[in-house]
Amino acid sequence: MDSADTNRTDGDIRRYLAELDLALAGADAALRHDAIIDAEAHLRAATKGGATAARAIAEFGTPAEIARAYCESGAATQTRSEDIAAAVDGKAAPDAAAPAAPRTGFAAIPVVGIWAQPAAWGALLYFGAVGFVLATVYFTWTVAVGGTALGLMPVLVGIPLLVLLLGSARALCLFEGKVVEALLRVRMPRRVQPVEGADSVGFWTRIGCWLRDVRSWLSLAYLLGNFPVSVAMFAVTVSLAAAGTLLVATPVLWALGVPVAHVEGVEGEVQFLWNRVTPDANGDVWVPAGMVVPSLLAGLALLTATLWLARGMGWVYGHVVQAIQVARPQPVPRIYR
Amino acid sequence: MASHLTDKLERDLSVGTAWLVVLAAVARAEEPIHGYEIARQLTDEAPEGLSFKQGTLYPMLRTMESEGLVRSTLVPSTEGPARKCFTLTPEGRRVLSAWSATWRDTSRWVNRIVGGIDGLR
Repeated sequence: MDSADTNRTDGDIRRYLAELDLALAGADAALRHDAIIDAEAHLRAATKGGATAARAIAEFGTPAEIARAYCESGAATQTRSEDIAAAVDGKAAPDAAAPAAPRTGFAAIPVVGIWAQPAAWGALLYFGAVGFVLATVYFTWTVAVGGTALGLMPVLVGIPLLVLLLGSARALCLFEGKVVEALLRVRMPRRVQPVEGADSVGFWTRIGCWLRDVRSWLSLAYLLGNFPVSVAMFAVTVSLAAAGTLLVATPVLWALGVPVAHVEGVEGEVQFLWNRVTPDANGDVWVPAGMVVPSLLAGLALLTATLWLARGMGWVYGHVVQAIQVARPQPVPRIYR
Repeated sequence: MASHLTDKLERDLSVGTAWLVVLAAVARAEEPIHGYEIARQLTDEAPEGLSFKQGTLYPMLRTMESEGLVRSTLVPSTEGPARKCFTLTPEGRRVLSAWSATWRDTSRWVNRIVGGIDGLR
């Protein structure tokens, strides 16, 4: 294939990918990313194998057909396990191409249905424990290696350390994507998009590609910026969840004859919801009988709001991590290939 | 007959059998097989006139992987970026075996019934 043919093939493939991207408008960003890199890898393999771009594209399918296949697979994944189990067991299976079933039962009830949504509980676990621990580890690693790399930069030893830091930031961000997908239920791409042309260049050019790849720097920024946000979210989530749980537990404590709190060195009254309560001589705080039901209701409302907050933040977090992973790297400049 | 029904059977069969033939193609490969190779084999062996769109294979493989029917590994390639190659999992083998039995029973039944109209023209 001469240079003109190569350019024409390249142009045809790029045009097809642009049309496929357009056909997938409105679909999940990770799904679009997967569809584009699958199509690109397939078409380049087919044209390298001797097929013309036109034939490879015709055999691959029109953008509309491929977009439909991806959207159906994305929607059907949630019900697929049931389909397979039903098919293997000889039972009738639901329509494979049917979109994900809308929420039913308790989860479909406005506002309080959040209690039955796994994404909300996953987000609570993420912000209240897992995310905070991971963010601390990422931040410690980044600051330790980054600080050492900057300090050693004048003697050049810092450069390989910087490359190590960028590589590890990309790997950690991919790992974070898996955690986020499992807990926050935001789909991540299934495969990292390769840098076009990076397979045919030498070690140093490849390192240069890493340094030019926007995903490396976005990952590094995420590892650093994620820490203060995670600390704040941890504090908010744990405080709200603890306060809500205490309020919900108040009727139980009241029934068991257990004080709701113990204070020492406090003169006068303490505030409990909208009431002033006077601790007894031992410093124990007892909830008045009239406050038991309002406390339970306030606790349930606070926990419901906490679940909504966690879910909302989870959606934002998930999409930030997704945006880093679907960012398209620049191809290796032709002068290096 | 309404013209839109002419290729209805082909469309329905293609949807219904796609997972079966893809699992079978992965199963019969002697070593991990990549998506492009599966697509090429299925196209080469497709009967005349049957339209199999190779691009629909990839979302299918991803779904199969998330369902635990196939497992993927990245295999370095001399012709480009590392390729994602697939092998069948034990669960995939079990499902393929059940589906193959269903397919054999169904095709035997269809052949018996359709055989009865051979004289009709």
